[in-house]
Amino acid sequence: MNYTSFFKAEWLSLLRRKQDTLNALLFFVMVITLFPLGVDPSSEFLAPAAGGIIWCATALSVLMAVEGLFKEDFNDGSLEQWLASGLSVSVLVLLKVLAQWLMVMVPLLLALPVLAQMLFLPWSSLLTVMGSLLLGTPALFLIGAIGAALTVSLRRGAVLMLLLILPLYIPVIIFATGAIRAAQLQMSVSGQLAILAAMSIVALALAPVMTAISIKASVN
Amino acid sequence: MQKSVNLQVNQLYLERGDRDLCQDLTFSVTSGELVRVAGENGAGKSSLMKALLGWLPIESGQIEYKGEDVTVHRDVLLADQLYLGHTPGIKTVLTPLENLRLYCPEASLQALEQALEHVQLGPYADIPAAQLSAGQKRRVALARLWLTDKPLWLLDEPFTALDHAGVLALEAHIKTHLDSGGAVMLTTHQTLLTLSAKTVELAAA
Amino acid sequence: MNWTWFHKLGSPKWFYQWASKWAGKLVWIGLLLLLIGVVWGLAFAPADYQQGNSFRIIYIHVPVAMLAQSCYLAMGIAGFVALVWQMKLAPVFIKSVAVVGAVMAFIALLSGAIWGKPTWGTWWVWDARLTSVLVLFLLYMGVIAIQNALDDQVFADKAVAVVSLVGVINLPIIKYSVEWWNTLHQPATFRLTEKPSMPMEMWLPLLFSALGLYLFSAGIAMWRMQTEVLKRERKANWVKQEVMSDGI
Repeated sequence: MNYTSFFKAEWLSLLRRKQDTLNALLFFVMVITLFPLGVDPSSEFLAPAAGGIIWCATALSVLMAVEGLFKEDFNDGSLEQWLASGLSVSVLVLLKVLAQWLMVMVPLLLALPVLAQMLFLPWSSLLTVMGSLLLGTPALFLIGAIGAALTVSLRRGAVLMLLLILPLYIPVIIFATGAIRAAQLQMSVSGQLAILAAMSIVALALAPVMTAISIKASVN
Repeated sequence: MQKSVNLQVNQLYLERGDRDLCQDLTFSVTSGELVRVAGENGAGKSSLMKALLGWLPIESGQIEYKGEDVTVHRDVLLADQLYLGHTPGIKTVLTPLENLRLYCPEASLQALEQALEHVQLGPYADIPAAQLSAGQKRRVALARLWLTDKPLWLLDEPFTALDHAGVLALEAHIKTHLDSGGAVMLTTHQTLLTLSAKTVELAAA
Repeated sequence: MNWTWFHKLGSPKWFYQWASKWAGKLVWIGLLLLLIGVVWGLAFAPADYQQGNSFRIIYIHVPVAMLAQSCYLAMGIAGFVALVWQMKLAPVFIKSVAVVGAVMAFIALLSGAIWGKPTWGTWWVWDARLTSVLVLFLLYMGVIAIQNALDDQVFADKAVAVVSLVGVINLPIIKYSVEWWNTLHQPATFRLTEKPSMPMEMWLPLLFSALGLYLFSAGIAMWRMQTEVLKRERKANWVKQEVMSDGI
């Protein structure tokens, strides 16, 4: 096993499971639909709230996609093979998260303009929404991977994983929605976006290590 | 190329929850040796392998590989071994060929196909592993043994899913490996047909 | 460098004997100080010129809120120690302190709400501090939940260490972001920070009750750790002797 063959196999596995990607996207659409139905369908409510709604739906979809990230690898013994391979488990984790991120976020970003219209999000702030998603979601995936590794041996780990990870998502959501709100008020958004990028970079440095520690502890 | 193995385990003490798996266990695995870990179900045969690989904490004892103390950092040992566990890491969405390509990326397509022939999976090379039986999945993993040049093999129950001919083929392959200076440590409930092994006994204290 | 002191601290047996000497004393001294502080504060300290008598809840609220944060910081440090030096006692510490911290965070929220009603006219405001204490409480619950969910002791110990460490790295980020969010949302109508500087006779009982609560909680945590050590080392000879000599 080497890093290239690992990434290829991961990517191939994801391609073979197109339905999982589609499910994450459908879940995203469902959560977004709940807001007009459950709160208020008028554009006076939806337009200013759109950024927050999109980000809450994203955070939940990411958690759903990441929750089972290592479950199959745990059950079929792949995690043991990662550890026995002598390769850096942190790098393997990073590659796996990268593949998953591409698989979930690309379709989501493609669907976003349509959904944004349904929420009456002004065109002018759509770019900021996309930018905040591009810069902020890596942190969500990487932090989520820690939770996925910690709950990998549990048969019903999803709720526990939500409890562990959602509080850690708060800063990302705050700055992302802050950026969108600033864009709607025609203010500068570079500060908030820079903070989002910084959070993703910190997560990039620390989360794979923490995930690797948890993976190693899970196979004993 | 002559392989060389020299693994020394000194006074190993392992526990799992409340049970002592072993106390003062001392043994060695050197070139040309087949070491069989014996013990009842639940005696901790798999745990011993995991402890050697560094996944299970060691209460006390020392592990040396090629004269180097690897008790804390197993890197030297990890670089030299091939481990196949109970569940040997076969992805069910991938075909046997794709699985082998993941683990042995430098092997040629011909070599991969040959390895699958050795475990009687030639005709199944391009079928998703989800459609294979549990035994066939294990055999996909065993095919890696025909593609590797690692000197030390750690095999957890390698014979369980094999028929008579399969066992003979694997034993013959192990024999070649031992003759070339390699070493094998395995656990099994079956009696070995053609090979004689050094036994490490794990008795519950 | 000589690390023996560090390993000694990590030895469960050494800790148990050390804690037997100190835990009880800490609990009683702490309780006494806490009692002095609270009685003094509730009955004798002068009333606040703005908030009247309702301000007196600070003699409970402030020490509890301080402790809730200190406990998590200590857990994060213990998580780091557990992961880097594999010290046996560190996960025991996290497990024991998590419950104390969670209780403190909960009391802080509850006493805050009780204070809020007469002062602000509402049980809850999305104030930055309240929100971060709520998140802190959730982080504590996460540690406790994963500890309870994992059966395997080795994995559970690693897991709580990871969660505590990740939590402690995130705590300042969460705090900062919530403060930033709060100023964006609403101007500072109700700020706990803008207190008039306290006169001595108000401040001294607060010091007493805070110090008392810290000592008391330290003693309780040590008791909990002792129990956990006994449970984990139940096979060791010194534990058998210890239990026998207590006549059980």
